[in-house]
Amino acid sequence: MGNALAPEVDGREAGRNVSGAVLDISGVCKSFGGLKAVQSFSLRLGPGDLQGLIGPNGAGKTTCFNLLTGVYRPDAGSITLCGTQIVGMRPNSIARCGMSRTFQNIRLFGDLSVLDNVRVGGHLRVRHSMFSAILRSAGSRASEAAMRRRAMSLLTFFGLADRADEVARNLPYGDQRKLEIARALATEPTVLLLDEPAAGMNSGEKVALRDMIRRVRDEFKVTVLLIEHDMGLVMDICERITVLDYGETIAAGTPAEVQANPKVIEAYLGAEEGVHA
Amino acid sequence: MDQLLQTIKDGISMGSLYALIALGYTMVYGILKFINFAHSDVVVLGAWLSLVMADTTTRALGGAGAAGAPWWLGGAVLVTAMVACGLIGFTIERLAYKPLRGSPRLNVLITAIGVSLFLQNTGQLRAVFGTNPRSIPPLIHDATLLTVGQVNFKLLDLIGFGTAVALMIGLDYLVFHTKLGRAMRAVSHNRVTASLMGIPVDRVISFTFVTGAMLAAAGGFLWALKYETIKQPADSSWVLLGLKAFVAAVVGGIGNVRGAMLGGMAIGLLENFGSAYLSSSMKDVYVFALLIVVLLVRPGGILGKAVVEKV
Repeated sequence: MGNALAPEVDGREAGRNVSGAVLDISGVCKSFGGLKAVQSFSLRLGPGDLQGLIGPNGAGKTTCFNLLTGVYRPDAGSITLCGTQIVGMRPNSIARCGMSRTFQNIRLFGDLSVLDNVRVGGHLRVRHSMFSAILRSAGSRASEAAMRRRAMSLLTFFGLADRADEVARNLPYGDQRKLEIARALATEPTVLLLDEPAAGMNSGEKVALRDMIRRVRDEFKVTVLLIEHDMGLVMDICERITVLDYGETIAAGTPAEVQANPKVIEAYLGAEEGVHA
Repeated sequence: MDQLLQTIKDGISMGSLYALIALGYTMVYGILKFINFAHSDVVVLGAWLSLVMADTTTRALGGAGAAGAPWWLGGAVLVTAMVACGLIGFTIERLAYKPLRGSPRLNVLITAIGVSLFLQNTGQLRAVFGTNPRSIPPLIHDATLLTVGQVNFKLLDLIGFGTAVALMIGLDYLVFHTKLGRAMRAVSHNRVTASLMGIPVDRVISFTFVTGAMLAAAGGFLWALKYETIKQPADSSWVLLGLKAFVAAVVGGIGNVRGAMLGGMAIGLLENFGSAYLSSSMKDVYVFALLIVVLLVRPGGILGKAVVEKV
């Protein structure tokens, strides 16, 4: 059923021919009516970067993720993923180019099993068409088996293998967060967007999460863009941080630079005069 | 005893038809959360296409009547009708529903009623099917296979029931054991998330409509085989058939594939038991009474999950 899909380029192949950047965002803007949610947002990420995106509530961080993944279309600006211009492409085509994400409020396929959640993520890396899957051709069975193995090894990596057949919504909260990351990795992304992975976790879980994000980055060779409110976590693992406030980029740099930036302090704590008034 | 057996037989035979049609309602609802009112008209289309094909082929093959029809003709007509209706289902979705993807559900619902009226009235054109009832030439030479007491189990009964069950098993396999089925379930759960995980949502929706329309065509074909005389495309009996299949989907739990099969059987049996043991003139009443009871007692349907409203 040939819908006019946006041109499908194997992004990762193309990416190697382009200089350094895996993800190149430049001058992206988005308004909702009179509200300027994101204003000229620019960011360049290289392979294996671990970049933080922080800002007070309503600063436009999640909107950025929605712009990157194609849920919203930017009013202006360009986003290049591995050399492919992805502005205007549909979310599923962008995912194919190598962008995947998790969600602030967990959005698993709750009725599906843990294993099926991960396998859905693997669909776009499977060769056989949906039609040949119905006919159960030998090729489709082989790739279905391969997909199952890959899904299981992902679940093993996250320590969820023994819960593979459980319905996703029955998992405890922390495991659901892990499963979301596993599902996102099943799409074999180049860039992994994590939206507040530490939300709702206790301090012990946060320590484990910190190690896990690093392991994910190293093992799966992904570039990570992390939205997080937990400053300890962000300052600890991110190499560079971008700070948004009211949709504007107010600071960018290493954790130490950002922490010392007066604009950032103002955004989080209010202006000096404001405090004393 | 004979009456009991006869009623069970009739109930199951009718129930499998309702189930087949109910599946189309439930699948589309599961994915797009709207009731495709044009679904019953695809059933009509399936029945009429079967009739036209049976008519032309038996005539072309020289002799009307069952004796002239080769054994494979019935299967060929069924498959062709399913393919044709699948294509029509695809076209309906593409032209009528897809442009409304982002709009309120009420708009889509009204469009579905429009599509239904369009199909009914196009079907009535003299160049298409006309306004007179017609009879389908016998495609299969019927024979009595087994007689228990005074109840005859005929070849046509077996073929009708067997086809319906085979299609339902096939669908169940498709939904729960294939890549496409997994994608359908993911899209049904959350369309945006599915597309972010790389599922081509529009293609999955198209597949869903095609599958639903194919099952509707099979339902129409089996209906034609069962009743021989086919009413004109806008006849109210078609609307009632569609409504009952819809009730079956709701009773089983709308959006739930296995629920639709269960609901169809339940309604077929209830209807036949009611008319055999209580009063046959109230046939339709039992069905809608069951709907009311289910909506009161278990609004989510037999297999449906209760929607808990968070306060």
